[in-house]
Amino acid sequence: MDGPITVTVRLFASLRDAAGADRVSLSLPAGTPVGAVWGHLPDGVRDVGLPNGARYALNHEWTLPGATLRDGDEVALVLPVSGG
Amino acid sequence: MIALTAEPLDLTAVAAAVGDPDHGGTASFVGTTRREGDLREVVELRFEAYEELARAELEAIRDEAETRFRARVAIAHRIGPVAVGEASVAVAASAGHRPAAFAACRYAIDELKVRAPIWKQAVYADGEARWLDGSAAPAPAGAGR
Repeated sequence: MDGPITVTVRLFASLRDAAGADRVSLSLPAGTPVGAVWGHLPDGVRDVGLPNGARYALNHEWTLPGATLRDGDEVALVLPVSGG
Repeated sequence: MIALTAEPLDLTAVAAAVGDPDHGGTASFVGTTRREGDLREVVELRFEAYEELARAELEAIRDEAETRFRARVAIAHRIGPVAVGEASVAVAASAGHRPAAFAACRYAIDELKVRAPIWKQAVYADGEARWLDGSAAPAPAGAGR
């Protein structure tokens, strides 16, 4: 069994406001999928709720919730967008 | 040209970026911050981007529009605070003839609205601020279109 991995989670908009920071570092079990990151975020962030339509990016590229995280990865939670 | 900038948008520069001696038409779209005076008055929008991915996504949209419509496309988006009446986004597209220029311009702004990881926070006249990102607090009717 591999040891825990450390990943950085980028947060934007209401999630960033709730965290009081634009990124958090998490120590996770090896093999954790991208989609499981939400459950490891601080309570204050999860209080915002994960909106329908949220997407994920891994190391600055779109990814799917089932993608496996590796040590040193940067994952981003991308809430429904409203640019323009 | 792909730009994410905290500075006021230079609309002339965006249009000039798609200049091409073989192209006979240039279409442009400018999105401006709307007051929403009949709903709940907005005084400012604050834009935030996931810059690395937003830039890549805007480049992908530009490339798709250029290939699909044989056009040249430029996109510029403000980040940070944008006062009511100021431009938050500008798209320009040139092509051989106007139908392709209009189509490429429309494609780029429509795709940007649904794909680019950019968010707006509405700041209201009563001082409240609200992110338009699908989070729990419901946005007022009509906001965020």
